[in-house]
Amino acid sequence: MFNKETLDAVRSLLLFQADDHLIIGHRNSEWTGLGPILEEDIAFSSIAQDKIGHALGLYTILHEQLGEAEPDTLAFMRNETDFTSCHLVELPIGEYDFSLVRHFFFDLAAHIRFEDLATSAFDPVAKLARKVKGEIKYHVFHANTFINQLGHGSEESKARLQSAVNQNFGLALGMFESFEGENLLVQQGIYKGEAAIREIWLGEVQAVLLEAGLKMPDAATTASVLGGRKGFHTEFLQPLLDEMTEVFRVDPAAEW
Amino acid sequence: MKIKSLDPRVDRLALDAVDKQPDAVLQPEEHWGTYQVFHQRKRGEKHSSVGIVHAPSAELALVFAKEQYGRRGETVNMWIVNTRDVLAMDYDDYDVFATTPDKMYRDPAGYKVNDKIAEFKKANLHV
Amino acid sequence: MYGGGYIHDDQKKKTENVAEDPALLAEFEARIARGEKVEPRDWMPTEYRRQLVRMIEQHAHSEIIGALPEGAWITRAPGFRRKLALMAKVQDEVGHAQLLYSAAETLGKSREDMINDLINGKSKYSNVFNYPSKTWADVAVIGFLIDAAAIVNQVANSKGSYGPYCRALERICYEESFHLKQGHSIFVYLATGTPIQRAMVQDALTRWWQPIMHFFGPSDKMSQHTETLMRWKVKMATNDDMRQQFLNMYVPKIREVGIVIPDENLRKNPETNMWEFTEPDWNEFYEVIKGNGPCNAERLAVRRAAEDNGAWVRAALRKVDQHYVTPLA
Repeated sequence: MFNKETLDAVRSLLLFQADDHLIIGHRNSEWTGLGPILEEDIAFSSIAQDKIGHALGLYTILHEQLGEAEPDTLAFMRNETDFTSCHLVELPIGEYDFSLVRHFFFDLAAHIRFEDLATSAFDPVAKLARKVKGEIKYHVFHANTFINQLGHGSEESKARLQSAVNQNFGLALGMFESFEGENLLVQQGIYKGEAAIREIWLGEVQAVLLEAGLKMPDAATTASVLGGRKGFHTEFLQPLLDEMTEVFRVDPAAEW
Repeated sequence: MKIKSLDPRVDRLALDAVDKQPDAVLQPEEHWGTYQVFHQRKRGEKHSSVGIVHAPSAELALVFAKEQYGRRGETVNMWIVNTRDVLAMDYDDYDVFATTPDKMYRDPAGYKVNDKIAEFKKANLHV
Repeated sequence: MYGGGYIHDDQKKKTENVAEDPALLAEFEARIARGEKVEPRDWMPTEYRRQLVRMIEQHAHSEIIGALPEGAWITRAPGFRRKLALMAKVQDEVGHAQLLYSAAETLGKSREDMINDLINGKSKYSNVFNYPSKTWADVAVIGFLIDAAAIVNQVANSKGSYGPYCRALERICYEESFHLKQGHSIFVYLATGTPIQRAMVQDALTRWWQPIMHFFGPSDKMSQHTETLMRWKVKMATNDDMRQQFLNMYVPKIREVGIVIPDENLRKNPETNMWEFTEPDWNEFYEVIKGNGPCNAERLAVRRAAEDNGAWVRAALRKVDQHYVTPLA
């Protein structure tokens, strides 16, 4: 149904989303047992599990429909330069202000992307997007509620959140780095394209931050942190992958 | 001196190894107040009391309850109610219910007429 | 999940001889003998309340601390299936801690006080979590055998007398069955896998066997104290009984995949039908309870750090008119 160039572009789209979800899910799983209060520890862990589940869903489409290796192989055996995750998701977990703001930025973008993909002409991803719609709705509810309530919390929480927003805005914009073949996807009703997603994202981020009493930096004058989609990463990705794959690589052929 | 852990996450916390820590870490009520959670499995069924969450607000109580009480099995709905708003009876007052089971006038089993019918039939054989 | 059979108690001398109103005590004990549950705010003997708070609290602490040895391997779990399963399992431990603190709160002790007592070393938790999880195979041994031991204890306690604790345990026992399956699955895959995998799980079992044997605590002769707790359905089975039950159910499962238990004397006596074993080193057990185990300091430091690092979040969201009241459960 779609030609080779189009399918290559679909592959890129699904791969960078899968990589993003895997890495952020992995990062957020680092909070399990260490969260600021038991109830939130539990909630945040579920969200991390969902993200890894979404990654698995996307890697599965790559394997079953687009000729890529099995999900475990894609996730655990590729080199750092083959990953197309953005820099935002690679950063260490930092303190809870950073992790919450990253969760807010990322999950809103994921929500907008999946909403669009739910009506994609590429059927496998449309099915997946429709299936996980409810999970993502909860992720956004969780993030927005925290941003709002901390924004109206104490002087400290306001300051921490604003600082995290300011410092990571360029990294967040890096989520929308363009990729090759995007225009083919737009033309064929497979995907809106990064620019369009980014516009919607900016509007929604602005709305949530405003209501939280926080300011959104000026996107026009903030440099997007690019390179992730082309395989150029921060110094944090390699150690993350080393850790993530430590046991798997003891024997990749073994059944664990 | 930092604690060196086998857990890479703990290592990254760079915790100080100290002999004696100061005593209390948490202040009273620092873990917020509580909300009672009610869970509905399927449409048509009753909501059941399933436990509590500590939360600073009703919205976050719902956010937390969803995962603490809804991450397995089926759920279609949840309610949360601030514990402060629940007026619970004292178990000591169970005696107000003590005679209720005896009030057979409220119970279908309290209305037996078979004997009366049998007697009537016997006395009115020609009917 | 990880309710150790052994409940550390250094206060019992103080309250066990408090004189209680004989009429109230008789009514209380009659209720329990009838199989009725005790609910929050019922009259209860001082010693009963104290024992329950202690038991439920220690159980809760065991869960939140128990999340740490396996939590150490979340970021290194091999493959999607194991990664998701381990995240869910450790999340459950935190969830169980939440459920158990909630049950204990109904008896009037605040969660903050309980956590402070944990961090200050005043309240104990299951000793078994003061040992390090050195390899991926440790996750298998902990998930399979320690969860199994905990289930033995929890199933017994779920028939106890205190309503909120029983209700929490019902929920916990249900989730435990997933933990056991998950742990057993990893154990079996390793034991039946490559030579490296088999060696890894054999090594883990060898290292963990003594802490597992310590799990239910030392032999408890039927003292007056134990007798009272059992009459009140606070303690539902002796340490020895639970240990026998555990050995009976799980030694065969360990051996059926060719893993060797490092105790030559471990065998079921065909005449007595009881398991015989080398008595574990109880001196080590008491040393670890005192705080001198390999990981005690780290476990508490991590818990303290988690609370410290989250303080700004909790403070920021706390409302001025919050006013906590004892919850219903």
